[in-house]
Amino acid sequence: MEDELSFSDIYGGRLALQRRYYSPSCREFCLSCPRLSLRSLTSVTCTVWLAAYGLFTLCENSMILSAAIFITLLGLLGYLHFVKIDQETLLIIDSLGIQLTSSYASGKESTTFIEMGKVKDVIINEAIYMQKVIYYLCILLNDPADPHGISQVVPVFQDCLTAVTLPWRASLWCSSCLLLDGDHGICTD
Amino acid sequence: MAYQGGGGHDLGHDPSTALYHDSPGNTVTCRTGAHNICMVSDFFYPNMGGVESHIYQLSQCLIERGHKVIVVTHAYGTRKGVRYLTKGLKVYYLPLRVMYNQSTATTLFHSLPLLRYIFVRERVTIIHSHSSFSAMAHDALFHAKTMGLRTVFTDHSLFGFADVSSVLTNKLLTVSLCDTNHIICVSYTSKENTVLRATLNPEIVSVIPNAVDPTDFTPDPFRRHDSIITIVIVSRLVYRKGTDLLSGIIPELCQKYKDLNFIIGGEGPKRIILEEVRERYQLHDRVRLLGALEHKDVRNVLVQGHIFLNTSLTEAFCMAIVEAASCGLQVVSTRVGGIPEVLPDNLIILCEPSVKSLCEGLEKAISQLKSGALPAPEKIHNIVKTFYTWRNVAERTEKVYNRVAGETVLSMDKRLERLISRCGPVTGYIFALLAVFNFLFLTFLRWMTPDSYIDVAIDATGPKGAWTHQYPYSRKRGKNNEMPQTR
Repeated sequence: MEDELSFSDIYGGRLALQRRYYSPSCREFCLSCPRLSLRSLTSVTCTVWLAAYGLFTLCENSMILSAAIFITLLGLLGYLHFVKIDQETLLIIDSLGIQLTSSYASGKESTTFIEMGKVKDVIINEAIYMQKVIYYLCILLNDPADPHGISQVVPVFQDCLTAVTLPWRASLWCSSCLLLDGDHGICTD
Repeated sequence: MAYQGGGGHDLGHDPSTALYHDSPGNTVTCRTGAHNICMVSDFFYPNMGGVESHIYQLSQCLIERGHKVIVVTHAYGTRKGVRYLTKGLKVYYLPLRVMYNQSTATTLFHSLPLLRYIFVRERVTIIHSHSSFSAMAHDALFHAKTMGLRTVFTDHSLFGFADVSSVLTNKLLTVSLCDTNHIICVSYTSKENTVLRATLNPEIVSVIPNAVDPTDFTPDPFRRHDSIITIVIVSRLVYRKGTDLLSGIIPELCQKYKDLNFIIGGEGPKRIILEEVRERYQLHDRVRLLGALEHKDVRNVLVQGHIFLNTSLTEAFCMAIVEAASCGLQVVSTRVGGIPEVLPDNLIILCEPSVKSLCEGLEKAISQLKSGALPAPEKIHNIVKTFYTWRNVAERTEKVYNRVAGETVLSMDKRLERLISRCGPVTGYIFALLAVFNFLFLTFLRWMTPDSYIDVAIDATGPKGAWTHQYPYSRKRGKNNEMPQTR
């Protein structure tokens, strides 16, 4: 079973959320961020080149132009490989744990797995981010030393910052699947 | 603390639709009854003081009356981000730079993006700023007027007119208050002072006194020795509080009455005078100087005495005498500033600010005490505890909000006109120009992030409040408090 929903991120862009139910104890979220738009690519390239030409007319050294080519190319490669995330996946398997996967635009993937025993709770938190105040979904990890303590807070979907509805739904989803202890006050979706 | 779903409120709803039903522009329903109030001040807990507790207590009582209240202040050390206090009072600790004395630096512009974001996401309708020392409070008033929100300001202090710093602050206050919807002062004396300082129309200034938590100041007759008479003084030992008068009163009364003791709480530059007096007249066993007191210890000092003496030379609203009366002490005070407004005549003996008059007042109190004519402490407490309660303050503040909600906010051209006409030729034009810049900056921000992109925060308090009491203060809720809130 699979359905798709559309959300907006904090910058007003569109995000597509796919939900896949494999079995009652295994579900997957797949959040696709907006693609790299031609407009932003063109505008960044143009800015770099205009600056390079400006410098070139001042000091008349053609090294600047070749440097600009390299900067643009390396910048684009680095951006696609390390910064730009196309898709984030949250795979939840009851009794096993939560797997977070981010796939970058270049095809690189990075995966984190959190065992069920370490997951304390999945909550929505509120924070000040740049000049904004946002909601985000995060996973609390148990502290092995202190049974009531929290050792770490793992933010989820941090590269596609989303509007409130998404963390909300995702939190419902995770907790209904993970059967976390019931004092969430969250209804099943 | 993290928000964990809406409790029983949203059962059976799709949460996403439940949220967006009441999102854009539904402030009309709020106008009839409940308001969305945003308290702004640089001073809030964990900092301690009068303004801080005023904001906290007022917010709690307004929440109880069904309003939505949030508090905005600057970050204190590691305490930054969003926190929830008792009854779901939401506090934003904004990462703004502190400049001097816990007050943030003001450039009039840098706080606009964050404040605007908060005002929009919380659907705030009324901005209530506190304290004229707080730069953030003035900034918020300035931005709120640019955004077309209604504004209320509470002034907590009295000011002079003569020295350079007060001339500057008064000018700033004139600019800040000339287009504010309503101003609240703590006593009639303070109102007079504010009206004169900021050249305001007295009709838009209300008087709402401070309140005392009567449960904090209860009498305890067993703590005092009835074989001797104890006079308590709790104040900062400075000129303004009349410490010089005190140094004249102590030897005179101590010679006259052999069973009279003094307890003096407080610290200050004039302490040396009292120590001299104690030395010269050999009163070490009868005059105790306690030094600086924490607010929580004040009650324990007060209950040891029979008579409370206040020798202030100027005072906006004397909280100390209310606290003393609430502890069941007979109050003797000077007749200055707002003091005659504070207590009824049968609970206070008012004197002129001179040694002779104060000694007469004290002798009157002592003779009443010896003849047993004074009412029992418990009785005085029961009378006083009805005078200044936070619920009453909240009720009266609510009336101000209702009035303000019915008023119109000045449009940009009218606001500029008023700034130019009220604030003098130079300052007026400067601030009118700044107001225009602020408006342009706001337009730019609205273009960058339209209001529709900003998601609506889930109300913790107010008519649609999601804060529930059904969970005990369990491990989960307790622990989440300590989580890092910012990234």
